Amino acid sequence: MNGNDRTVLLKLDEVSLSYRSKRTSFEHGQHRVLNRVSLELYEGETLGIIGRNGVGKTTMLQLMAGILAPTEGRVWQMPGKSSSLLTLGLGFKPDISGRDNALLAAMLQGSTQQQAKSYLEDIKAFAELGDSFEEPVKTYSAGMRARLGFTTALMTHVDILLVDEVLSVGDAQFRAKAESAMKERIGGEQTVVFVSHMDGQIENLCDRAILLERGAVAAEGDTARVLKAYRETLKR
Amino acid sequence: MAIMALRADASKYFLGYVWWVLEPLLYVGVFFVVFNVILKSRTEDFLVFLMCGKLAFIWFSKSVFQASTSIVAAKGLIGKINAPKTLFPLALIQEGLYRQAAVFSLLFVVLYGYGYAPSASWIWLVPLLLVNYLMIVACSFLGACLVCMVRDFSLVISLGMTFLLFTSGIFWDVNDLADPQMTQLVLTVNPVAFILDCYRQILMYQTAPDALHLALLGAVFAALTAVMAVVMHRGSQFLALKALSS
Repeated sequence: MNGNDRTVLLKLDEVSLSYRSKRTSFEHGQHRVLNRVSLELYEGETLGIIGRNGVGKTTMLQLMAGILAPTEGRVWQMPGKSSSLLTLGLGFKPDISGRDNALLAAMLQGSTQQQAKSYLEDIKAFAELGDSFEEPVKTYSAGMRARLGFTTALMTHVDILLVDEVLSVGDAQFRAKAESAMKERIGGEQTVVFVSHMDGQIENLCDRAILLERGAVAAEGDTARVLKAYRETLKR
Repeated sequence: MAIMALRADASKYFLGYVWWVLEPLLYVGVFFVVFNVILKSRTEDFLVFLMCGKLAFIWFSKSVFQASTSIVAAKGLIGKINAPKTLFPLALIQEGLYRQAAVFSLLFVVLYGYGYAPSASWIWLVPLLLVNYLMIVACSFLGACLVCMVRDFSLVISLGMTFLLFTSGIFWDVNDLADPQMTQLVLTVNPVAFILDCYRQILMYQTAPDALHLALLGAVFAALTAVMAVVMHRGSQFLALKALSS
């Protein structure tokens, strides 16, 4: 890893996150999601975060996006850089049309109304929703929702793109299209943090990877080496 | 956001936009039957009297109640975007504002029909509506935070609205109480009662309301709104965690 000469865009420093849940058990219900996690994200790189379900991958992205604040430790982001979390089904409102949902989502991610409106036709074309774009989202199938969510998130422009398991959506044809669109973004100057539990995608897309296990970093560095460690954990 | 939500809301029901006006009117109808037909209230022009109070009250109670659960309800969105948390109650308040515009227009038509023509004192509606709006925003912000911290508050707020419904002089006149000191007490302690009384003073009796009292309420609610906005901004991540984890 020769990251010393590159600019650090985002840094997690000994970050822990825990919260109190309802007292449903006799224990005190203190959930520790992340435990003293440190990492650095360099400009232009694609960092993969891999781990099994429930190890804190999504929470880590939420910390990076500033949605949550750490209980301990510090999250630092280079001033003036924007980051955005790309997830499926950006809290769609089921009763309003796909077009309005896309507009709303783009605006909530920081675009102005003008910018958001200019993305709409691109979104419509890429998502291949046709006339359904004007129909309420409640009439959509799960696959259609996923397409709309992925496309909307992809079209908005940010410095750090935080991607949460979005490439496992839609039918095979759309998935291939989504993956190549993703690769195109990654190939450019885009800085990406990519979260997945599927090792194939991490292998294809990432320069560097981190393995999370029970809220802590279990391995870090070269993608192939980290993925090997991940496959070991699956056997256990 | 509010306009989209309204459009969606209207398309959901068979009668669509008609429900905006119909729902509050049905409430008025029920109260009218109970207090005028069954209990024979002696208040003059009871229908107009009731509408002035009830329609303004519904604006307050419905907005605050819906807005108070808005952050928790937007959980899906909150987990994905670091959006300002005041946005969620504000969107619902805005929605309520549009509805209320339709409802108040109807009220004016009824007032006119009963011979209460607009007069110079109606100019007082401007500050009154503003204070009423500030009261809604302040209470909504506070309610939204409380419900986000502890869900049980949503029950408390709902109960509180019923309590206010009975204590704010909607179907009885605060000024008709036997003990004038009690009238004063109700108006001082309960801002909702004062605001509702102001509507009647202006619309029915063509008199100016207690300007100092109104200004004071406006200042208090404006301050509360500002404080809550700062609190919600500073505690944005904390509210997100609360909304996501409980």
